[in-house]
Amino acid sequence: MAKRTLYWLQGGGCGGDTWSLFNMESPDILELFDLLGIELLWHPTISTLRDAELRALDERILSGQQRLDLFCLEGSILCGPSGTGMADTIRGRPKKELAQALARKARDVLAVGTCASFGGFGAGGETEATGLQFQKTEMGGLLGRDFRSGSGNPVINLPGCPCHCDAVTGTLSALVTGPSLRLNEHNSPLDWYGIMVHQGCTRNEYHEYRVEEKRFGEKGCLFFYMGCQGPLVYGSCNKVLWNRRSSKTRVGVPCFGCTRPDFPQNYPFFTTRNIEGIPIELPAGVSRAHYLAYKGMAAAAAPKRLIKRKSGI
Amino acid sequence: MKAATEIRLPMNRVEGDLEIRVEVTDGHISEAYSVGTMYRGFENLLRGRAPLDGLVITPRICGICSTAHLMAAAKALDDVFGARVPGNGTRVRNVSLMVEQIQNDLRHMFLLFAVDFTRPAYAGLPLYEEAVRRHTPLRGTSSSQAIRETKRLVEIVAILGGQWPHSSFMVPGGVVSVPTANEVNQCRSLLASFRKWYEGRILGCRLERWREVDSGPALQAWLDESDAHRESDLGFFLRFSRQAGLDAIGGGHGNFLSFGGLKIPESSSVSAPDGGLHLVPSGFVSSGRKEAFDPAVITEDIGFSRFTGYTGGRHPSEGITVPDTDRAGDARRSWAKAPRYGRRPAETGPLAERIVAADPLFCDLVGDGEGSVFARQLARLVRPALLFPAVDTWLKEIASSGEGFYKTYRGVDRGDGFGAVQAHRGALGHWITIENVKIARYQVITPTAWNASPRDDEGVRGPVEQALIGLPVADPEDPIAVEHVVRSFDPCLVCTVHAIEGEGTLRPVTFF
Repeated sequence: MAKRTLYWLQGGGCGGDTWSLFNMESPDILELFDLLGIELLWHPTISTLRDAELRALDERILSGQQRLDLFCLEGSILCGPSGTGMADTIRGRPKKELAQALARKARDVLAVGTCASFGGFGAGGETEATGLQFQKTEMGGLLGRDFRSGSGNPVINLPGCPCHCDAVTGTLSALVTGPSLRLNEHNSPLDWYGIMVHQGCTRNEYHEYRVEEKRFGEKGCLFFYMGCQGPLVYGSCNKVLWNRRSSKTRVGVPCFGCTRPDFPQNYPFFTTRNIEGIPIELPAGVSRAHYLAYKGMAAAAAPKRLIKRKSGI
Repeated sequence: MKAATEIRLPMNRVEGDLEIRVEVTDGHISEAYSVGTMYRGFENLLRGRAPLDGLVITPRICGICSTAHLMAAAKALDDVFGARVPGNGTRVRNVSLMVEQIQNDLRHMFLLFAVDFTRPAYAGLPLYEEAVRRHTPLRGTSSSQAIRETKRLVEIVAILGGQWPHSSFMVPGGVVSVPTANEVNQCRSLLASFRKWYEGRILGCRLERWREVDSGPALQAWLDESDAHRESDLGFFLRFSRQAGLDAIGGGHGNFLSFGGLKIPESSSVSAPDGGLHLVPSGFVSSGRKEAFDPAVITEDIGFSRFTGYTGGRHPSEGITVPDTDRAGDARRSWAKAPRYGRRPAETGPLAERIVAADPLFCDLVGDGEGSVFARQLARLVRPALLFPAVDTWLKEIASSGEGFYKTYRGVDRGDGFGAVQAHRGALGHWITIENVKIARYQVITPTAWNASPRDDEGVRGPVEQALIGLPVADPEDPIAVEHVVRSFDPCLVCTVHAIEGEGTLRPVTFF
């Protein structure tokens, strides 16, 4: 089988998705490329091409001489200031032009991380950041809602800040070896974006019985007061775990909803917006009246060992 | 005299992308411009937000040093609120920062810097084949081992803080996590295993032996002492650097800045070399003369930046960030400001840290001079050796001290705060102003802003720019020495080269 070629571009971002990818184990990133027969044409952190060689590579891809199977963008597309695109340039030109041209040549396009998927930091701000096929919740973005890559897929969005390495490597594996991926409404694969972040959180027993914290450094649930969005947001943090060890919510950091199309949200982190002690935002599909009744009963049924924070989470 | 040839080096991934423009006259660099080519607007994103939101937003400035930004953000808030951090809160913060630092130092060396030893420009060197065997990206023995070992090391940050990168486990008053004794033991095991690899593979000796090396001659004696030393990655770096002449290039202004840091908890058995309250001392050294660190003399100029709104230097507590669309396309202006310490440019990073700490080896190597590519990389490669013992002691003390991790603080409606961290690439500062329980101002000066600074209003070059002046350039299509110099400041980037004949003209690039 011919090698699958991969080109990784970094736009308006921090490089965190790349470093997250380096967390991969069994197989690690190197073994994975070997297993899948991926030929890395370019990655700015790894590759050693001189600029003349990189320019030649770009030209070969854009003229169709060089096949491009997998195009990964990390970081947002910066269109500002004032629509110039000069907030992020390469060789004196707006980088968005290169991103657009490469996407049109690729068999599949992956938006790695929330910035590449939805714009993330700077979306709606002075840098006019956008994702490849979404700007926040609106479909469109740089490439437009009707864009399809060579395979017929839309841009596959792998949000998260950073994106978990499993989502990247698992998506690459599926694209190379099949079966085809099932996507959610934001074109993210259900395998990693089909469950809520709080599934698997070691604080779930506290959540069940409404043992809720109002200060840092405690063992209980962070949903009612501390701004945790674990029950509201799709993500597999507590299923696949971070660095094979833990997750933010397990150690007491609220989930900030970093996979959401509107991340970073324009309301405060670390505080839950609520009405009379009940969060304004409830898990999708939950009736407020039923939730009130359920949580009242749950709090009444809470066992002493939880109220006294005795679980060894 | 031949007309100047201009070389542009587009470079990726710092807190904004970086491009270096140099003019070559008679085979030597006659002028240099450091130009940040990306603007992400983080400071302005924070205005109007809740005071704690910087803990979530600022780590996302950088994917390899997010814990350093988290630390600076938390310390700025400690400062505003007058929050007191209990002993174990300080220990968890320190350990996490140091672990991220060790990760950064080795990834920079083996994934970003030493990779250049495999470039065709060195094909004629006797050590070239060995360089290829060790440093080929991903597949070289050193490269692949560094990837495997560093990702295991950062599991410590995940155990203590939930994930790496981009967690927000430090808050004013301490940390949110309360690691169990078992989790602390897991961290110690991870550290011990990593240290064993570092001693065996990187140093070729025990830490104790390495720390006896206190001068240039002692370094030579260490190298000659055994095959294990010569064959280690450090030994290879010493041998290769000599062949490649890395000790003769890349001197800057000779101004070195360290914010210092790693506060030592009162009950800790860790002691600072200088008897102070912090493991890493702060200060500013110019031509061998040391001054006490004073954050009040820091200013930022924008005369060569793509920003507008003021002239002359401004202290970050009064700083503003206003992008200027008219200047955005000016290839000589940068998306970075020009930080100055008492109106002077300053190099910061592991070498500056060692000079400010009066480390005998590095003071001997640098003297009263400007440093070199070699000295900068050596300081980075051996910095972990200084950190391991304190990391392990602090982990041990977390389990045994019984001290707290977090103490509640009283919020304030308004106030100013400053968080200083000696981060992996050097001096990192966050300045916050809170008004009406909202962030009214947030200014960040990163280490790369110091090092890759553009000219200031008086036209004085930044450290990277200065370090390039006079550098011989044999092949304008492959000016590898330029890349060594720039990378030795660890701006966390991968650089590529773009050569243009004549001054100021850009070869048109089309993507369609």
